[in-house]
Amino acid sequence: MAGKLVVPGETISEGKKPGLHAYSEEGKLRSTVVGLADEKGSRVIALKGKYMPQPGDWVIGVVQSVKYAGNDVDIKCPYPGFILSKMTKTEFALGDVVAAQVEKIDEAKRIDLKTPKRLLGGEILEVSSVKVPRIIGKRNSMLDTIMKGSGSEILVGRNGRIWLKGGNIALAVRAILMVEREAHTSGLTDRVAEFMKKESGDTKG
Amino acid sequence: MVGGATTKELMVDGKRLDGRALDELRPVKITASVLNNADGSAYIEWGKNKVIAGVFGPRPCHPKRMMDPYRAIIKSRYRLAPFSTSDHGRAGPNRRSIELSKVIREAFESRVLLEQFPQTMIELTVEVLEADGGTRCASLVAASVALADAGIPMKDLVSAVAVGKINDQIALDLTGVEDNYGDSDIPFALAGRNKELMLFQMDGVLTKEQINQALDMGTKACEKVHQLQVEALKRVYESKKQEVEAKED
Amino acid sequence: MAVLDVLDQIKRGYIRDMVKQNKRIDNRAFDEYRKVEVEQGMITSAEGSARARIGKSEVLVGVKIGVGSPFPDRPSEGILMTNAEFLPLASSTFESGPPREDSIELARVVDRGIRSANAVDIASLSLGEDEEGRPKVWITFLDIYVIDHDGNLQDAAGLAAMSAILNTQLPKYEDGQIVREEKTGPLPSKATALSCTFGKIADKIILDPCYAEEVSLDSKLTIATVKDHICACQKSGGGGLSRAELDYCMDLALKKGEELRGKLKA
Repeated sequence: MAGKLVVPGETISEGKKPGLHAYSEEGKLRSTVVGLADEKGSRVIALKGKYMPQPGDWVIGVVQSVKYAGNDVDIKCPYPGFILSKMTKTEFALGDVVAAQVEKIDEAKRIDLKTPKRLLGGEILEVSSVKVPRIIGKRNSMLDTIMKGSGSEILVGRNGRIWLKGGNIALAVRAILMVEREAHTSGLTDRVAEFMKKESGDTKG
Repeated sequence: MVGGATTKELMVDGKRLDGRALDELRPVKITASVLNNADGSAYIEWGKNKVIAGVFGPRPCHPKRMMDPYRAIIKSRYRLAPFSTSDHGRAGPNRRSIELSKVIREAFESRVLLEQFPQTMIELTVEVLEADGGTRCASLVAASVALADAGIPMKDLVSAVAVGKINDQIALDLTGVEDNYGDSDIPFALAGRNKELMLFQMDGVLTKEQINQALDMGTKACEKVHQLQVEALKRVYESKKQEVEAKED
Repeated sequence: MAVLDVLDQIKRGYIRDMVKQNKRIDNRAFDEYRKVEVEQGMITSAEGSARARIGKSEVLVGVKIGVGSPFPDRPSEGILMTNAEFLPLASSTFESGPPREDSIELARVVDRGIRSANAVDIASLSLGEDEEGRPKVWITFLDIYVIDHDGNLQDAAGLAAMSAILNTQLPKYEDGQIVREEKTGPLPSKATALSCTFGKIADKIILDPCYAEEVSLDSKLTIATVKDHICACQKSGGGGLSRAELDYCMDLALKKGEELRGKLKA
């Protein structure tokens, strides 16, 4: 996929309707971010920036306030997510770690979450949200490799928070950090598999 | 002559003290993404000026009373290191640094798409590590790259340069000595796309024609600086582009 | 912020697990430094400067020289003023404003090592008396600028400070005025003091903790050395240290101190 690297203000095409991260002025479409302009020349894929929720995303959050109507949840983005009280079977407490799906985000940036579930125990690793697709891999291949090698249950939030429980968490964390560090290289899934094999042998011996 | 304190010869054989021609910019070197924790950052060396800029955000606005329900606010800080000048400087903000923080912030307020992030703040800090005239322009140029590096959406990059008058002649990009002994200084910033003035300050006494001559000279230099900003960003993001492409294998 | 605290708390778990498995988050050995780099003289407005990088931590130190009156009880001694600033751009948790206890402790521990070892020889920094018979001395301002924070700022600050001292040239002093354009020689220094910082997690000792490790520590120990002597110590954090652990750290600090000194040049 060949995209052209553009910076804010750079022209990406002429006479098109602006898509994501683009604006139109005097017939020219320009980028608002550093990113890759797609071939059609109407939108730009940002290469950096804060996570912004999209409906359907699974995210991992921390409950930061408990109100009568519901809970504000920090989801590592500029705005908290909101979980309506009536959606939860049990009440959440401050500091609870929850996984939930983004239902909608309105113009005032109110983010409604649905199908929340509390994650009991386990640990959390934070990574840059831009690296999440790489950590999951094509058809879950990377994540499967890491889960199999570590025996850990792993949940990857689209917002760059990863919840891990059971198995060799320390090993899983090191593997994920390896993916984050080497995200730009090819053949990474094989190398991670090799790393997991070698390291799990190490600790047993 | 009015307002000038020319007690020092600033031109020798038609050249300036550092050997430059009147319309010549000092060497400018920009590097994007130099910090690990900041969401975006840039380092600039502009002659002897050395400035590092860092950006955090958008993130929830603190204190809450500063929050704007319809757009993000920019908080900016311009600071001079105690070792950046000839005499040891005192820590903490002074009247000058507070004014510069304000004009730097305002240079970005209509460029950054603040309405995309209501109720949040974007924190911008520029640290001048070494100062030799024109630090606000160098700060602004670095800050612009740092904002783009943070992935904050904006209409375009802002470029800046100062033009002044030494020995009765309009000269580009004054050094500290030239600024101290020169007759006038006009720091200004231009929006990359339509060349609107985003920052414009002036001291000394000039005719309208001289100001226009200075702005014409500075506009050319701004275009060059803009090119350096674009290059600095593209150098860093070429490698990030590979991450997107590596996904496909 | 509460959310950050909650997350830090949760993250401590796997750092401890790793250490128990004799592993570290960045695959280092327990007695291994991250990549250490030192550069000198980048700030030409300062009389001396240096930047140290330990991994992703980065500290810049500028030395400014001034002239002033000595402390009344030490009329023939120069003055050393050490200050540290955690720049707001170094971490999302740093705020500008009055110094916090972390940055004060950092500066004081650097200062202590330098002072104990006479790394700035303040005894030889008298300028005699001015026309009115008042004593004058050199003042050395050591400003520590924390630019990027990934743990163990102490050793990075110590390394940058020592390197900046060795880079410092005294200006000329004439008729009660400093002539900064002219230099008269290096800032007198009798020894090279450098620190090594250790962390204790789950009864194991690790050298040079990175940020993720630092927030997981039970206790922390900084030992500054000068050749075969120890010249400053600071234990911090709520946990305890055994005498055997202290012994181990002192031996390693003396050994690693020599390695770090190899990174410096006068």
